[in-house]
Amino acid sequence: MKSNFFLVASIILIGSCTSPNKPARVFRNIEHSLQTQLIAAHNGDTINLPEGNFMFTKSLIMDGKSNIVIRGMGMDRTVLSWKNQVEGAQGILVTNGRNIVLEDFAVEDAKGDNLKVSDTQGITLRRIRSEWTDGPRPENGAYALYPVLSTRVLMEECLAIGSSDAGIYVGQSDSVIIRNNKAYWNVAGIESENSKWVEIYGNEAYDNTGGILVFDLPGLTRYGHTTKVYKNNVHDNNHENFAHKGNIVASIPPGSGMMILATHTTDIYDNDIINNRSVGAAIISYELVAAINEGEETSDGALGGAQTVNNNYKSDSLYNAFPYDIHVHDNRFSNSHWFPSLDSDIGKLLLTKSFLNPPDVLYDGVSDASRPDRRICIQESDELTFINLDAGNDFKGFSKDVASFSCRK
Amino acid sequence: MRGYLLWILCVLAACQRSQTADTVLAEESLPGADISAFGPPTLSSYGLFKGELKNLEPSNGVYPYEINSALFSDYAFKKRFIFMPSGMQMKYHKAETLDFPDGTILIKNFYYPADFRKPEQARRILETRLLILEKDSWKPLVYVWNVEQTEAHLEIAGRNLPVKWIHYDGGERSIQYAVPTLNQCKGCHLKGDKVAPIGPSARQLNRIAAVIGKNQLVHWKEDGILADLPDINSVPQLAAYDDETRDVASRARAWLEINCAHCHREDGPAKNSGLILTAEEKSMLPLGIGKAPVAAGKGSGDRNFDIVPGKPDESILLYRIESVDPGVMMPEVGRSIVHKEGVILVRKWIEGLAKTQ
Repeated sequence: MKSNFFLVASIILIGSCTSPNKPARVFRNIEHSLQTQLIAAHNGDTINLPEGNFMFTKSLIMDGKSNIVIRGMGMDRTVLSWKNQVEGAQGILVTNGRNIVLEDFAVEDAKGDNLKVSDTQGITLRRIRSEWTDGPRPENGAYALYPVLSTRVLMEECLAIGSSDAGIYVGQSDSVIIRNNKAYWNVAGIESENSKWVEIYGNEAYDNTGGILVFDLPGLTRYGHTTKVYKNNVHDNNHENFAHKGNIVASIPPGSGMMILATHTTDIYDNDIINNRSVGAAIISYELVAAINEGEETSDGALGGAQTVNNNYKSDSLYNAFPYDIHVHDNRFSNSHWFPSLDSDIGKLLLTKSFLNPPDVLYDGVSDASRPDRRICIQESDELTFINLDAGNDFKGFSKDVASFSCRK
Repeated sequence: MRGYLLWILCVLAACQRSQTADTVLAEESLPGADISAFGPPTLSSYGLFKGELKNLEPSNGVYPYEINSALFSDYAFKKRFIFMPSGMQMKYHKAETLDFPDGTILIKNFYYPADFRKPEQARRILETRLLILEKDSWKPLVYVWNVEQTEAHLEIAGRNLPVKWIHYDGGERSIQYAVPTLNQCKGCHLKGDKVAPIGPSARQLNRIAAVIGKNQLVHWKEDGILADLPDINSVPQLAAYDDETRDVASRARAWLEINCAHCHREDGPAKNSGLILTAEEKSMLPLGIGKAPVAAGKGSGDRNFDIVPGKPDESILLYRIESVDPGVMMPEVGRSIVHKEGVILVRKWIEGLAKTQ
């Protein structure tokens, strides 16, 4: 009897201590010969990745190739891991390519970005799982999928998990389609930054700090405009913000469905924006971001940092800090939360300004006084909770009246 | 009761052990790619050195050279040579690297003396990197030396080589030295969309070379292999970062240029960051002073600006050159340990910035 007890208890104890851990995996090492293949590949080649788990210690790089397909056996069957990375910041890095297709494999646990594509004309990322496998942690790399300075970018049916910056990200690119992807446990689920001619549709973003972001930031090589965001399911993006201070996404309040920052000519329609506790869709200027950073700097007693941020974007003559030509219409908003997240200044502001009723749509009300023709318009159901902060005038013109933003004017 | 405790401890210990780490199997080869199209399979076949290969005794037409400030490569020593086809000349260029004739080969040998305090004694050569100018385009190739030091073989995909030495302080050091892939060569040597040399600019070459005992540019002019050299006093000169007779700013900027500016320049691969670290950069913001990061991710180390004058420990730049975490460290490739002397220098420079603002 007693020995039975010990046996059972032992099993329970051992079971309980191992169950939270993922089973140990066996990884093969094909690093050197795969890197050799990528360097020696001839234009037009297809490189087939076998089924299995493969461990890498340095970035796998493909540069200057055209018409190459790298194809695995599926996002759960061909797994490339950089858990033991000792060199290079990226997992996979594709540069200076033309018409490159990467599909049907997983990229895990790179020290920096899991999959970066730079200076490439024509890049498709399809059915790729890009993940940090220890869950959402600040130690995770920045971007799961990271095409930048590229044209003709297609990301579809991918899965991004655990980025300490943005999961599915595109930056400084043009002609971009981001469709039918899924992103969770990232600070930003999906982000388009300083990119133009972008369509973001059919995606599901949940359990991120912010669901879908369209940002234009100062000081970069090029600026964005003309983005359509439609038919996305953006729900429950209430994860705590685990981004590193100093990064722009560190200022996203947990509970942000969509955030449109300082860009223009953007249509947001036909999306389901559900249970994002702080705000459904926020339309803000870079001035607000700078002002928030300003508070932080003063309290730190550091150098007049926000001033520098201000000076920075104001001295960038090509940059427009104010969102305009933003159309928000025919979306489906709902929010079962009564309180916004209080982990951020914006969240605290919302609590006081919209008590027990976090807004579906928020506009910071900061616009270019010299350009009254530049508008934003909102055309949603009558139940819409709307806030115009009028942040540029110390909230004096704070208003919940959405009628003046009607698209029918 | 004590028995119970012991039992629980045993079970927990077993459970510790049962959380085995992932296993990585031995290296295997996929059906191989043919690399013969990249270049000759061995270093000896070039005939760049005479006698025993490991003595690196230059053949005719092969000229040794030095530069003022060299990239930090895990404390590796470097022996540099230029091969020029006979009868050809290099041309002076004020700002960029010299103009080299077709057929030029820039040769850089990486080695570790067994004891850094006796660098002329026993050494192990790890790799020889070549930049070959063919039809107006530079081709990088890497040759990895065998343990016997009798030959070096073409390698396009990099290698990790264990290496150890006695450091300047008498202590033993050991690292996994990383031979770069051909792609990584381009990672640093890309200028615009073309591969280009980094080191041999007039500013870097303008120095008294130990092997010839005089200014090497003047020497080459006298030898007839360098054209268009103006009065040597009008030739710009980059500081040697380790020359303690020079001011800290010039030395730190020279160190930043050679370690960072191959990417952090207007037409370099890190142009999207907006951080420009060439020694000539005059403006504060591109130089990182008061500049917020763009896509640093965790590389920011929770610091707000690339450089905060007077506050090295609030400056992202210092955080990244002090790090050996691949997701944080700068440069991203070419080192696995910290360049202690370089970090001290940059720290001193940032500390001094406050006074000059």
